[in-house]
Amino acid sequence: MAKIEPIEPQFHLEVLNPEQLSSIKSATLQIMEEVGVRFPSKKALRIFAEHGALVDWERQLVQLPADMVLEALGQAPRSYVLSGRSEGTDLILDGRRSYFATDGCGTLTIDFETGEERYSCKDDVARMARVADGLSSIAFYWPIVSAQDYGRLAPLHELDASFGNTVKHVQTETVMGEMPARYAVRMAGAIAGSREQMRANPPLSALICTIAPLGHDKEGIEAAMVYAEAGIPVGFMAMPTMGSTAPAAPGGALVIGNAEAASAMVLMQLVAPGAPVFQSLLVSGMDPHTAGYLVSLPQKYLCNVAAVQMAHDWGVPSLAGTFGLDASEPATWQLGRDSVYTALLCALAGTDITIGLGMLKASTLLVPEQIIFDDEIYHTHRVLAEGLDISSQGLALDIISKVGPGGHFLAQKHTRRHLRDVWIPELTQPRPSPDGTPPQDIRQRARAKLDRILVEHEPEPLEEAVRAELDAILSAAERELGS
Amino acid sequence: MSQEIYDKLAKAVIDGEPEDAEEWAKKALEQGLDPLDCINEGLSPGIDRVGELFATGDYFLPDLIIGGDAMKAALNILEPALTQGQGRHVLGQVVLGTVEGDLHEIGKTLVGTMLTANGFLVTDIGVDKTAAEFVAAIKESGATLVGASALLTTTMLHQKEVIEALKEAGLRDQVKVMVGGAPITESWAKEIGADGYADDAITAVAVAKKLVGAA
Repeated sequence: MAKIEPIEPQFHLEVLNPEQLSSIKSATLQIMEEVGVRFPSKKALRIFAEHGALVDWERQLVQLPADMVLEALGQAPRSYVLSGRSEGTDLILDGRRSYFATDGCGTLTIDFETGEERYSCKDDVARMARVADGLSSIAFYWPIVSAQDYGRLAPLHELDASFGNTVKHVQTETVMGEMPARYAVRMAGAIAGSREQMRANPPLSALICTIAPLGHDKEGIEAAMVYAEAGIPVGFMAMPTMGSTAPAAPGGALVIGNAEAASAMVLMQLVAPGAPVFQSLLVSGMDPHTAGYLVSLPQKYLCNVAAVQMAHDWGVPSLAGTFGLDASEPATWQLGRDSVYTALLCALAGTDITIGLGMLKASTLLVPEQIIFDDEIYHTHRVLAEGLDISSQGLALDIISKVGPGGHFLAQKHTRRHLRDVWIPELTQPRPSPDGTPPQDIRQRARAKLDRILVEHEPEPLEEAVRAELDAILSAAERELGS
Repeated sequence: MSQEIYDKLAKAVIDGEPEDAEEWAKKALEQGLDPLDCINEGLSPGIDRVGELFATGDYFLPDLIIGGDAMKAALNILEPALTQGQGRHVLGQVVLGTVEGDLHEIGKTLVGTMLTANGFLVTDIGVDKTAAEFVAAIKESGATLVGASALLTTTMLHQKEVIEALKEAGLRDQVKVMVGGAPITESWAKEIGADGYADDAITAVAVAKKLVGAA
């Protein structure tokens, strides 16, 4: 039975005050109107032109009047549902809960059996989908690595491995291009039962990356239009790097990213008014000596929180990127630190959906047991964000009076009941188990838990007819798109 | 009918409901059931189940303690009704206390609860007890096992005095000595000539069983 335990924060974190938010919005609107954003898609340019934007066809540049942006974004829904395929697995994006997912889409895997590093494959996506199905920290699944054994059809096979091994909502970040997106929509329709049901309860959503600075990818934006037309929620992730693809100043990086993501969300509303969209801004830093990608930076953590506020300021849900940082080894000091600064701060900021559990080396390397470490950190954050129980049960005055000075609380029924509310980290404080003494090494303990899930957790299988339909769609895609 | 009451007694222990345990013990006697059967067929399987659930990680210490309390509540009713010569099977008699100058109680009480729940008959003499008071309690109860608890580095020295006092009283050969408490280590136990040491209350039961030859 797949279970989801979202974070429901009882106190909130903001890093931008209303004036600062307003400054960012004005600057973003100004950039969109005066500088413009590059859309290398004739279809996109035509739609913008039809709706009154200033289009430079040669430079593929669109200048969007502020009124047009605000009017379009005003049609985007703030609240909607991302559906799972069994009861209790829907994500309600209404600003009251944060739902987390795995990271993606890595290219390397530490082999489950040999422990050797190798290229990732479809079976990795399937195995980790089963693990995700069995962990309550994971509310939706990003295909965690690339199904590199399926060539050009890898993105669709990633969806296939995901739908087949978890009932939880799946979000693709790799299906790009108009034709592949149409196949992904067909697969989602097969899962939902019909196109109408898919629109009402989408089992699939999509994330498209922008190209910094101030541009989009043809395949990405054309896939996004397919999703918006079909009612598949689609989000846009900008990844400005301070110093290289963005100014070396967090404010400027946020404005660049905001303009990229918002311009795409405007297009979606022009294509399909009221289409469910979401925004994500992942600011990073440039290594000043190598130009490498740096994410373990305090300015980045601040930008993560600001990004949540900025998405909500447009009136759309926010997706945050957390965990999965620079470290290359599980169970390191650095990972512990970075997870708090990313996952906890974003949850307290009220992000609606968040990705990032289970990957290392800046989201490139799948170390199977890493997700168990991240799961434990997630639950620590979940309990932390819930705040304190100061109700009469929480104050327990009658029990304090009953025990009195010098006594103890071990034999109280109140203790028996509420001791279960004290969440105890399982990896650092392993519980007694019928399997005998847990391994001494924490990494082995994490691996033992992962293996137990892989052996014992049985995701609810797809109905045979749905399974057959997915196979037929994949065969058709292979005929049309090549393998 | 009798099986139903045994089951209720077991359930009261498993659920940790001392009031229910007492009530069902009274009903058992009213209906003329053999108190020894009630213990062996109801309470003992109940407390065994509590132990199993604890071992698998499903139960916590309070479940164990309140289960033990439920068992005690029923025994208080049933034991006085046992006929002459009848007695419940116990693994051994234990005297338990915290040493002189030390007022720490919880660790010692936990060990007592665990030993009781596992079939020992425990006389808990309380805290701040001199070596002489330990010896007197051993003589009175006929215990073959004594547990001396100390939480402070300043009071742990008194554990040694308990052993010395047993020697002086000529009882050392008949009584096994266990020591425990936060500052206590295996090597300290050896140094003062104790027979057993455990790090926590669960291990203490295993050590006690070994010392009385029941393991």
